[in-house]
Order: sequence, then structure tokens, then C-alpha cells
Amino acid sequence: MIPLDAPSRALVEEVRALGRQYMRPMGLESDRTGDPPPADHPFYLLCSRQGGLVSRTIDPEAAPDGAEVPQWQPFRAALIAEESAYWDRGVALSLPGPGLGGSALRSTATPEQSARFLAPFADHGRAHWAAMAMTEPGAGSDVARIQTRVRKEGREWVLSGSKMFCSNGARSDWVVVWATVDPALGRAGHRALVVEAGTPGFDLLKIEHKMGSRGYETASFALDDVRVPEENLLGGESFYESRQGFRGAMATFNLARPIHAAQGVGMGRAALDHALAFVRDEYPAHGRRRQRALERLADMRRELHTARLICLHAAWLARHGVTNALEASYAKLFAPPAVFRVVSAALDILGEAGVRNDALLEKLYRDVKILDIGEGTQQVQRVVVARQLFGFPRDA
Amino acid sequence: MDAFTLSEVLEDLAAAGDRFAQNELAPGARAAETGGAWPVRHDEVARGLGLCDLDVPESLGGAGAGALAKVVLLESLAHGDAGGLPALDQPGPTVGAVLACPDQPLAGRVAAGGRSGEAGAVLVVCDPETHGAPRLEWAPARPPCRWVWVTAGDGLALFDGPDELAPTQALAFAASGGVSSALEGCREVGRWELAPLSGHAVRARARLWAGAVALGIAQAALDATIAYTTERIVFGKPVAHHQGNAFELAALATAVHGARLALRDGACDLDAGAPAAPYWATQAAVFALDAAVATTDAGIQLLGGHGFLVDHLAEKRFREARMLGLLWGGRDAAVADLAAESLDVDEAVFVQGAHR
Repeated sequence: MIPLDAPSRALVEEVRALGRQYMRPMGLESDRTGDPPPADHPFYLLCSRQGGLVSRTIDPEAAPDGAEVPQWQPFRAALIAEESAYWDRGVALSLPGPGLGGSALRSTATPEQSARFLAPFADHGRAHWAAMAMTEPGAGSDVARIQTRVRKEGREWVLSGSKMFCSNGARSDWVVVWATVDPALGRAGHRALVVEAGTPGFDLLKIEHKMGSRGYETASFALDDVRVPEENLLGGESFYESRQGFRGAMATFNLARPIHAAQGVGMGRAALDHALAFVRDEYPAHGRRRQRALERLADMRRELHTARLICLHAAWLARHGVTNALEASYAKLFAPPAVFRVVSAALDILGEAGVRNDALLEKLYRDVKILDIGEGTQQVQRVVVARQLFGFPRDA
Repeated sequence: MDAFTLSEVLEDLAAAGDRFAQNELAPGARAAETGGAWPVRHDEVARGLGLCDLDVPESLGGAGAGALAKVVLLESLAHGDAGGLPALDQPGPTVGAVLACPDQPLAGRVAAGGRSGEAGAVLVVCDPETHGAPRLEWAPARPPCRWVWVTAGDGLALFDGPDELAPTQALAFAASGGVSSALEGCREVGRWELAPLSGHAVRARARLWAGAVALGIAQAALDATIAYTTERIVFGKPVAHHQGNAFELAALATAVHGARLALRDGACDLDAGAPAAPYWATQAAVFALDAAVATTDAGIQLLGGHGFLVDHLAEKRFREARMLGLLWGGRDAAVADLAAESLDVDEAVFVQGAHR
């Protein structure tokens, strides 16, 4: 029995209404044009005028007024992630809010830094975004290999390098950039700095064109001697002396992984609904083909149901302050490939009808693949699980 | 109580079950299989833990603790040794028939006979479309089988006294003995047409039983495999530290974790009387059975030739996991039940909280 309180149910209903009216149409339009919705889209303003309701719940650490976030939030965030991704996962990721930048603040920033950088989100007159930039052209899953350098000059930090796969980065008020003081130090050399939009040398290279999930922008940046004040180093210098920096980043991922995985469950549910409707409307009332489809539907439901339980359990642990590194990886390991199988099975049920662009399923098939890559690939999750269960060595 | 949190009472029950399983059941597992029975003391301890009473309503003389309690205890015991569970646990897999039977006094007498060890009951699942005569392909030899519940679609029947019970060796569960019967000469005691989809509930309880036992077996296989493969060195490092093996073990651990969550969730649904509870209980059981087959297969594979020897329990778990998926119509009958309802179960009720 999954505990679900009345406010959570109400929130899900609200997201459902927003999804039906805005997110699904916006997602289809972005998929057609290849461009994410513009930052001044009325939907984003609507979200902001509601006090950032949606973004606050999708990103549980991103209360726009900087207020303390209720403990229930991670669990509720997973519910909302599922429901919003049901309508369009790309648009769900584009919702205003501090996003992963907020998560980084939560895990590494001082209270003063959090208050300062979250202040713009109290402005409900327009939509605000923030972002986090970790990935580089030569360092994806193995974040210890990042090469973007940071050095101290006087009372400033100076950043040089490049970043990619930065979600919503081009429309963000600020971006948390992870860099290293010395690549030879590995994770011990990592530093997280806030780079504000418009800082000289912080240049947008391009918005990537993707196979799917086109409803949010994926930005690449160059950092050419970008100077930021010393107080933009999240947590302050002492924070990194005890290797807390990397642990902070990992804590961020432990919270984000089940929510990311829950988005997959929503996408799988969308595929399931299409397949159900197709069987009801288009299949013969009896016969082997129908029986095969019904068995496929049973398999799809089983995969989705189990994936949902694993995701919610990991979020539930986070809600109760229980270490969830293993369970978060279970969620991220299981859900994306399971959902991929669900979407693929739904396509099998539609057959040739599934290939058409005006059928949502071919879009879902393109959209869903990134889930098994972002926030740590399936392979990374297997490494994490193996490490925790039987000490799989880092250099194996 | 929910699928994510066990009450203090259930935590204690699981801990007691774990201690008994590890200290007594597991060390004697192979001897029990060879001897064809658990030692009497094992039966007594398992009964003392409430194995035969937990999911039987108080109105029928049981503990009324529900399906979740039963799933938790079965997993714990099966982790040590599942071999004697089919013989000992009465009404066990037939509890769904006991609960669904409209003649509750009769069902209560049948259940009581099993719990006292005097007269066992078995469940036979028939395909409602073939109308073939039911056969009992395998049942535990103890207690002596007297009652035969037959479920087909939403029909339920109870028969008394199969004439001949032939001793029958099976793929696994030798510690429970084994019999089979053509079920000739049985006297029909009652026949009922249950409410629509209620027949599935009868079968779902049996499948949940199988799923919970399979989960304990799978966890034991995973634990044993990890223990062995982190010690055994091949090509200069532990077997488990070769990435191909590590990745497989990680995926299996994930599946076992998911199976546990799904089984407990399905049990909670049954305890709450949720409308779609049989559907989700069967789904959970199928997932757990699949996970157990995969995990016990790896439990042999990663031990190499050692896994094929009876020196280890890996081959015993491999046989047990597979056999569980064949009982009561097997996986195919379970999927047929699921397929019949898969257009109608409302996925969205989860987020609406309608049945949670």
C-alpha cells in the first residue's frame, strides 16, 4: 500500500490538468520544430505565478522563496515526475525553477549562498531557471575526469574549459559549474562555482539537436577565463578540504535518480495507455493476435508497476532521511530499460500504425532512450550497486 | 503499514524467522532433502512462528495477521530451506479457496484439518476453456491429502478423498515428499460459482505463496553467489570483480529488490481488499518467480562446475525456483489470468489514490 496523502493527490491532479492543456501540446510542437518552447511561453509564466508550484515539487530542493522544504517532498516529487513525464518529459524538464542547480546548492552551499542565489525565484513576475554543468566533451559518466580548470586570482576564481549537456542552461539566471583545481587530484580537486548569466567569457556555443526529448534545451558552453567573485565558490574553500564536495554531488544524484527514473514510469504509462486504446478500438474481439496483445499488456503493466515501486521506495527513503544510494541506483538501473521495453512492446501492438509521426508512440520511443543515459547510465548504476553489495573495485 | 514499512511486530517476526532459517533450516537443508522430511523440531518451530495460522482469519481459528505477514515469514524461512514448506504449510497455498468458499463452516473444517496435520488440502487449477478432468500432478505427501480444491475461471469446487495417491518424485521439494493422483473416485462436496474475477483471487493467493517462497530462495542464491564469487579468484581477481559478472549480479540484486517490494505491495492490497488485489498479487508473483529462476541460474553459472554439484545448495535452489513456477497452472496460467484483466485494470488509480 503506497501512502498517498490528500495534498499529493491534489498536486498530481493539478499537474495532470496542466499536462493535458499545456505540456502535451508543447511537447508535440517542440518535437515537430526541433526547438524547445521559448522562455517567454505563457505556460512558464503561469507556473511562476502559481508560486513555482510545479517546479518546486519536481525539484524538491528548489523552494523559490528559499523556505525549508517539507520532508515529504522527495516522495511527492517522484509522483509529480511520473505524472508530468506522462504528458511530456521534455517539457517537464523545461519547467521553471533552480533544477539541478538548486540541488547543488542544497548539497554544497552555505545558507547565505542559498538565500542569495534562490532570491530571484521569489520573483513570480517572470519565469526563472538555474542549471548545473558537470558533463564535458571528454567526461560524462566518469565525472572525476572533468578538465575544466579553475584557479584563484586575488579575490576571484577564474574558469577555463567547456561544458555540454547542460539542461536549460541557456535560459538560466545562473549555472553551477563543476571544475577542477588540478585534474591529477581527481574528485578531491573538484570545486562548484556559480556563474551568473552574462558573465564575460561564459559563452553559449549551441543548443544541441537531439533525437528526442526536444521540449527542453540542452546547452553547450565555453568558459574562456570566466571570472567570478570568490564568494561564488559553493560551500567556501573549507568545504572541499574534507572531500565533502564530491560527496555533496553524489548526494544530489542519489535524490535525483529515483525522480529521473520515475519520469520513465510516466512515459511508459503513456505508451501503455496508447496500446490499451489501440487494442480496445482496433483489434479483433477474439483470436490469437488479441491474446498475444493482452499478454504483452500484462507484461508491460508488470514492468511499470515494479519500476514505480522501486522508484517510490528510493524516494520514500530520502523522505525519511535514510541513506538511499543503493536503492536510488536500483531505481535508475531498473526503470529506464524496463520502460524502453514497455514502449517498444507498445509499438509492437500498434505495428505499422506505430511508425507514424502523428502517433505519439514513435516519439516516445525516441524520447525514452535518454533516460538510460542521463543521471548516470545503466552501466554506471551497475557499478554503483556492485560496489555497495560486494566491493566492486573502482579500477576493475 | 505499507509496502515500504513493516510494523514492529512484523520486523520481529522476520527476525525470528531469519534466525531459525540460518541457524537450523539452512544447515540441515540437504539432510532434510535426502531424508524426505524436515526434522520434527523444525516443523514445531515453524508452526510456533505462526506459519500455518498467519493468513487464516480469526473466525476460522487462525491468527488473522494477513497476507503481508505470511509473505514476510515465508521469505525468511525459504531463505534457509524451502524444502519442507509445502508439506508443513496448511492451508498455505489453498488459503485463497478457504477464504473464497461460500460455505465458510465447511472451509473452516478443511483448513483446520490441514493445520492439525490430519488431512491435507491441495489446489488444482484447471483451464476453464478445455473442460478436461482435473488431475493432481504433484502434491506434498504430508499431511495425507484428503481435500482437493479445484478452481477454473470463477468456478470453485471441493472434492473429498482421492482413491489412490501414488508416491511421486518431483523436480524439487523432496523434503515434503510427493504424491500424484488421477483424482478418480473423489466425492464432490461442493461446487460454487464465485463472483466475477473472484476465481482469480483463489489462484492469486497460491501464486503469492509461491512468489514469497521464490523470493527467499532467490535472496539465498544471491547471498551465496556473492559470498562465493568474492572469494574465488579467477584470472587474478575475484569472480565477482570481473565486470561481466558484477553487472549481472547487480541486475539480479535489483530484480530481487523489486520482487520484494512488489510481493509486499500485492499482499497489502489483498489485506486491504483492494478491487484489483488479485491482479497485482499475481503480477508480483510472476515477477518474483522470474527473478528467482534468473538468480538461481546465475547461482550455478557463477560457481562454475561447483554449482552443478550437490556439495552446494545452488543446484537445489535452481530446481526449487523452477518448480514453483510450474505449480497451480504455472506461469502460463498466471499470465492468462493477467491477460484477461489487462484491458480493465486502471493504471491511473495509483495517482488518484482510489484504492490505496
